Amino acid sequence: MKGIIFRKEAQERIDEIKEVDILIGIPSYNNSRTIGHVVRAVQTGLAKYFPEKKSVLVNSDGGSTDGTMEVVQNTTIEDFQSILLHHRVEPVLKIATPYHGIPGKGSAFRTIFEIADAINAKACAVVDSDLRSITPEWIELLIKPVIEGRFDYVAPLYHRHKFDGTITNSIIYPLNRTLYGKRVRQPIGGDFGFSGNMVKFYLTKDVWETDVARYGIDIWMTTTAIANNFKICQAFLGAKIHDPKDPGADLSAMLYQIVGSTFDLMETYSHVWTKITSSEPVLTCGFQYAVGLEPVSVNLDRMIDKFRLGVKELMGIWKEFFPPEIIDFLHKAKGLRKKEFHIPDDVWVEIIYNFAIAAHKKIINKEHLLKSLTPLYIGRTASFVIETWDSDASEVEEKIEQLCKIFEDKKTFLLENWV
Amino acid sequence: MNSFFQRVIIEPLDRFLERVLYFLPNLFSSILIFISGIILGLIFKAIFLRFFRAIKLDKFSERSGMLEMLKKGGIKEPISLILSKLIGWLAIISFSILSLYSLDVPAIERVLERFLLYLPNIFVAALILFFGYLLSNFLGRAALVAAVNAGIKLSGLIGRLVKLTVFLLALTMALEQLGIGRGTIVISFAIIFGGIVLALAIAFGLGGRDIAKEYLEKKIKGEEKKDEINHL
Repeated sequence: MKGIIFRKEAQERIDEIKEVDILIGIPSYNNSRTIGHVVRAVQTGLAKYFPEKKSVLVNSDGGSTDGTMEVVQNTTIEDFQSILLHHRVEPVLKIATPYHGIPGKGSAFRTIFEIADAINAKACAVVDSDLRSITPEWIELLIKPVIEGRFDYVAPLYHRHKFDGTITNSIIYPLNRTLYGKRVRQPIGGDFGFSGNMVKFYLTKDVWETDVARYGIDIWMTTTAIANNFKICQAFLGAKIHDPKDPGADLSAMLYQIVGSTFDLMETYSHVWTKITSSEPVLTCGFQYAVGLEPVSVNLDRMIDKFRLGVKELMGIWKEFFPPEIIDFLHKAKGLRKKEFHIPDDVWVEIIYNFAIAAHKKIINKEHLLKSLTPLYIGRTASFVIETWDSDASEVEEKIEQLCKIFEDKKTFLLENWV
Repeated sequence: MNSFFQRVIIEPLDRFLERVLYFLPNLFSSILIFISGIILGLIFKAIFLRFFRAIKLDKFSERSGMLEMLKKGGIKEPISLILSKLIGWLAIISFSILSLYSLDVPAIERVLERFLLYLPNIFVAALILFFGYLLSNFLGRAALVAAVNAGIKLSGLIGRLVKLTVFLLALTMALEQLGIGRGTIVISFAIIFGGIVLALAIAFGLGGRDIAKEYLEKKIKGEEKKDEINHL
């Protein structure tokens, strides 16, 4: 596979740096408002927890026009003494460079991997540039398991609002856990730690022209680590609060990229997941504590309207692969009032498995198929919101656990139809 | 009397017999070529069917989405069979034309010449129509899904309109290729399409005035309650 060619300035910087112990990557696109805080947290984390290690911060930018890269270059902690009591402070090196390839998070990560490989980084982490809740401890929690515990991949574990991360909660976490047998709670969390070996392995894969180059990168990284038996763990990072994802980002495109990548990985690793019959917990590092979260506003009427519109107009597509029971159910659900609106777990699991089978059998164009999932996903999210309106965090977690169990129980249906 | 009989009956009959005798070998060779064409066509079909199956063309067509395209176009046979049939028929048609030429009849030759010159137009028109139909299905469905995801109430109508427009465009191109009413068809299409757009514009302008006002007010004043759910 052909590697990417860095810009002259980036190449010169790489030649100067030669080798590092730790690399922290920050992908960005027009995040000048929040990236300063993230850079400061990273610098403090590296100075506080890894003062003796040679470290570099890499900003891989998607062509920001709001001065994001300048903010990265100019952000420094002026008064380390007030933050750190007596640690020796090594300067944190920086590389800020635009990435090449398909515009998207995955392409930004690829540049980070290439730089990590070029300067032979022993431990790496990536953190989102829109985080408002990142603290220096995140760097310790993502990097220490790699350096001291010899883990190859550290997935994040956060406390999130009960209505946050709905693609994770309703599709990706239960499905990934059922398929590969590891209970990684935030497989598409966005903030990960990983070893130099993991980076080298990622770079052997030729996936950068697919949806992995976009939002598919997170699930690809997690699944690749699990399916290839790398040593994995989770790190509890506290609350995840960040700016809303790119406001212009289209939900159906995002859903298509993430779910499409998950289904593509099912093809790649069918020899792995078809043999797995149960799931097991993954070691979690870090002290877990309760956190306060910002409220999330939900427009239920609009969500249910979108579901109804989908059932009315897209039934022609779904009829090609849904069994009659699901078709009947959807027709009935369309007529339900807001108070009664409910999509049960078992129906939802069957919907997802039928989509996976339809994608596998290439029944219709993949993009049309997966984008037609959007109204059903919105309906399911509305149902989840109604159901958990008065529930606290632990009750919601229990509800998600129940859903996971149904995913696991019905895996035989998936296996039987995966021909 | 005898010489009259000789001139009116015998001589034309002789000439006819002479021509028949001249024509018969051509006819026999023509029939032979035609039969060989049929046999060769069948052999070609069988050989190519085996060849396409051996190189797993059907699997490839399934992976590349071509099979889905054909299914949507109402064609249920595997691509290997379609292609081998096509090759078989091409052989039969080629030999049929050769056999007709071998008859050495000037009138047939002239008709064949004109037919042969026109044949590429029919082929191209059929191709345009076929791909136009597939494309209209594909784009109609893409528009439908996109409109539903954007929450547009008239998604079904949008999907059907896109499908119809693309197919009409393909039909116009195909008819133009065949040389049927060249200018008329293009102008008709432009008038119909322009008319539809104008009608829609007027309908939306008159019927949707209040909706547009409400929508703009909502957009500008930000009255609509938005979701803050982070899906990832």
